[in-house]
Amino acid sequence: MKLVTAIVKPHRIDDVKDALREIGVSGLTTTDVEGFGRQRGHTEVYRGAEYQVDFVPKVKVEVVVDDGDVDGVVDAIVKAARTGKIGDGKLWVGEVDRVMRIRTGEMGPDALSG
Amino acid sequence: MPSSAVGLREELRALERAYTLGHHGPAVARRRASLVDACLVELFERAGAPGRVALVATGGYGRMVQLPASDIDLLVLHDDATSIAAIVDALLYPLWDAGLPVGHAVRTAAECLAATERLDAWTAMLDGRLVAGDETLAARALAPVRARAREDPAGFARRLRDAAAARREHFGSSAHLLEPDLKEGSGGLRDVASLGWLAAALETDPESAGVIRAREREAVDAAEAFLVRARSAIQLLTGRRADRLVTELQPDVARGMGFVDEPNLLATDGLMRSLFEHARNVEHVAGLAVTRAMAGAAGGGSTVVADPAAILEALADAAERGDVPSVELLDAIEDVAVPDPVAWDVRTRAAFLRLLRSGERGSAMFDVLDRVGLLARFVPAWSRVRCRPQRDPYHRSTVDAHLLAAAARMADLLAGSGDAEDPLEVATVAHVERPDALLLGALLHDVGKIGTGGHVPIGTTIARDTLDAMGVAGPDRDLAVFMVEEHLLLPDTATRRDLSDEDLLLDVAARVGTPERLAGLYLLAKADALATGPAAWTPWRETLVRELVAKVQRVFDRGDMGEELAAHLAERTDRLRELLHGEPDDRIEGFILRVPRSYLLAVDPGRVAEHFRIVMPPLGRNEVRTAATAGSRAGTYEVVVVASDRPGLLSWIAGALAIGGISILAAQAFTTEDRTAIDVFEVEGAFEPEITEARWRAFRSTLRRTIEGSISLEHRVREKGRHYPRPRVASPVTIRVLNDVSEFSTVIEVGAPDRIGLLHDITRTFADLHLGVHLAKVATFDGRVVDAFYVRDELSRKVTEPGLLAGVESALRERLET
Repeated sequence: MKLVTAIVKPHRIDDVKDALREIGVSGLTTTDVEGFGRQRGHTEVYRGAEYQVDFVPKVKVEVVVDDGDVDGVVDAIVKAARTGKIGDGKLWVGEVDRVMRIRTGEMGPDALSG
Repeated sequence: MPSSAVGLREELRALERAYTLGHHGPAVARRRASLVDACLVELFERAGAPGRVALVATGGYGRMVQLPASDIDLLVLHDDATSIAAIVDALLYPLWDAGLPVGHAVRTAAECLAATERLDAWTAMLDGRLVAGDETLAARALAPVRARAREDPAGFARRLRDAAAARREHFGSSAHLLEPDLKEGSGGLRDVASLGWLAAALETDPESAGVIRAREREAVDAAEAFLVRARSAIQLLTGRRADRLVTELQPDVARGMGFVDEPNLLATDGLMRSLFEHARNVEHVAGLAVTRAMAGAAGGGSTVVADPAAILEALADAAERGDVPSVELLDAIEDVAVPDPVAWDVRTRAAFLRLLRSGERGSAMFDVLDRVGLLARFVPAWSRVRCRPQRDPYHRSTVDAHLLAAAARMADLLAGSGDAEDPLEVATVAHVERPDALLLGALLHDVGKIGTGGHVPIGTTIARDTLDAMGVAGPDRDLAVFMVEEHLLLPDTATRRDLSDEDLLLDVAARVGTPERLAGLYLLAKADALATGPAAWTPWRETLVRELVAKVQRVFDRGDMGEELAAHLAERTDRLRELLHGEPDDRIEGFILRVPRSYLLAVDPGRVAEHFRIVMPPLGRNEVRTAATAGSRAGTYEVVVVASDRPGLLSWIAGALAIGGISILAAQAFTTEDRTAIDVFEVEGAFEPEITEARWRAFRSTLRRTIEGSISLEHRVREKGRHYPRPRVASPVTIRVLNDVSEFSTVIEVGAPDRIGLLHDITRTFADLHLGVHLAKVATFDGRVVDAFYVRDELSRKVTEPGLLAGVESALRERLET
């Protein structure tokens, strides 16, 4: 099993959710996060009042999937999150040793489905 | 009568079954305590009824408020001479063996007095009641415990106040939280009990001492009965000593207590509303009583309040002084004949606004006004949001508590006592011209949450009526209504929409209209979020909302949108809707949202309606659609070209026109957010007045083959140009690169003598440098072309790299001057 983690723009999150639901992903976790990549922070100006924005607001999406579903999930997220502009985000895939559904004790892929 | 602890257990179980869930009120709690009493008396007898030992019920059991899962709180009094361990064993083991929960203390009289160091032990003993044993010993132990509270009633009251504040901090309030703790929460049963402890500290009864009023006492008694029923229901449902009315339990408790679904109010919400109502009374009365006790005995004076306006004036005076309303003042207020609804006059309005400006203290006075049942007479809309729970992930309070909190937060912000670290807050406050309108907007922003859905439009109507009834008129009224109507605009847009979409910013600017309104909406978004709960105003949200506000303000600063332009745009889109009458509404609205605002503002609605048909159907990758119609003057034509945008497209169209013998008089190139180019040209024949269908066909074919990559346009345009004389270089080439004109594009202005293929050459240069033309305005005046191009780099950003900016200028110069 794999953990797919993506950092996406806040306004793309609904599309990402829809895209994942469409390919049958039944669960995901999202978190409001702040950080910076190449985009870095910047200075905003409002009527002469300046302030530094050090971290850019993003949404982190995490999905645990069966090995065979990784490509489909990655593809769906990337398609839904891409605007072509700077700051579209990043995605990475990592190995997951163990998954358990807390209520039933089901393990592995059984804990992901349904 | 139970003959043993096991018997008691059975009796208690029988009692559980004797009443339905939700009807275990104070009488049942008293009965439960009596059963325990009887058992303890018997156990005490069996233990040999030893002398110089007394069995005292403490805490809730002492007060005869024994709930289904409550501990049996016992104090075993003795003097040192007695061997107490065996006696205690004989009393407690049977209870433990029967599985009954016991909380016990074993003390001498001296230890009792020493135990008053801990407030909870002290107050438990203030509730002490002799159950069995040595009466003299009990009196000797408990009298000093009471005397100690009477020595310094104000000091004791202060300790109760501090404990209540700590409980509120830890457990929150039962008066507006969705999952309240009915025992420890503010307004819960512990606060009810604290009134009893306060009474124990007074020489006379609390009413004669001026600490509590008869009406307040009645309200607390009713609240206690309700809280006991609800808390008993929780314990019977869970079988545990649980005090928190969590969401899962609410449906069963509501049903048990006789609540049913009503129109616009679910049974569970009905339960919570009643609970909040009672808990508020407790919170309010307990708070007042403690404050009055701390201030010492009442002055005994009397106050006269003449009319409804005077009520608000008196409360505003108290708020501004930082006082709580005195017993006399509240009595006087309740003696005023207050019509329902109150007819507002200038005094009423002035005093109401003074209360709003007083922030937290003013909100507390509104709360007082609500407790005596008068707030809804001043503001009739209040009756529908009072104590109404909100079930969403953010809100923790009832609607009315949230509104009062938001108004108080707004007053803080306007007074400059908010966050000095937020430069946007400081700058917006500095630009507020109508603070009262913002306070009223904050007070009413969620007034439409009355259970019928769509709270914003409903709230806008209610706010308008409310402000009219208050006599708030003119710009203040308009601004306050606007605040209510658009209070979600900034937070919703900031978190859900693409802030790098220029049209989005123009739309927001059009809806907001003026910088003052924008500042007001920012402050309301912040006050609203701060009043909602800690999860609502995170740095994450704040950054996004600020970004939106700063960008929209720059739209105003540049004059890209404002009230006048917004009106113009609205007029044009309305006209377009009329012209497209008959098309499905969602297609029309989809089209309006999709095309750039600059396009709607620049192109006549009649033309736009014609373009609709070729813009709407999905485009193939290499597909080009064109349409030509008669132009604004005789011999001119308007040509629109629609294609998927790509670098170089504009140069290809310009080149294909040039090759086809068609001169460009003016051009406007637009790009939608989904990268469809809509390029509009005003053209005339270069050689003959009429452009024949054959020429159009040739133009379309050239363009299509260029896009497909099957011909090279560059060469052909150059060839064509070679055959015609160059214009005399009387007017020089001028180039200006501007980075402060647009939020997202670099603007390049080019002036040059007109010639064949000029537009092609300019735009070709951009394409070579990988710059996309997002918007172009081309005009020809008397042989000279004046163009403005809004360009972006490959990542759709402004061009900021100095090297590239200089490169653009020199490349253009090279191409245009040679």
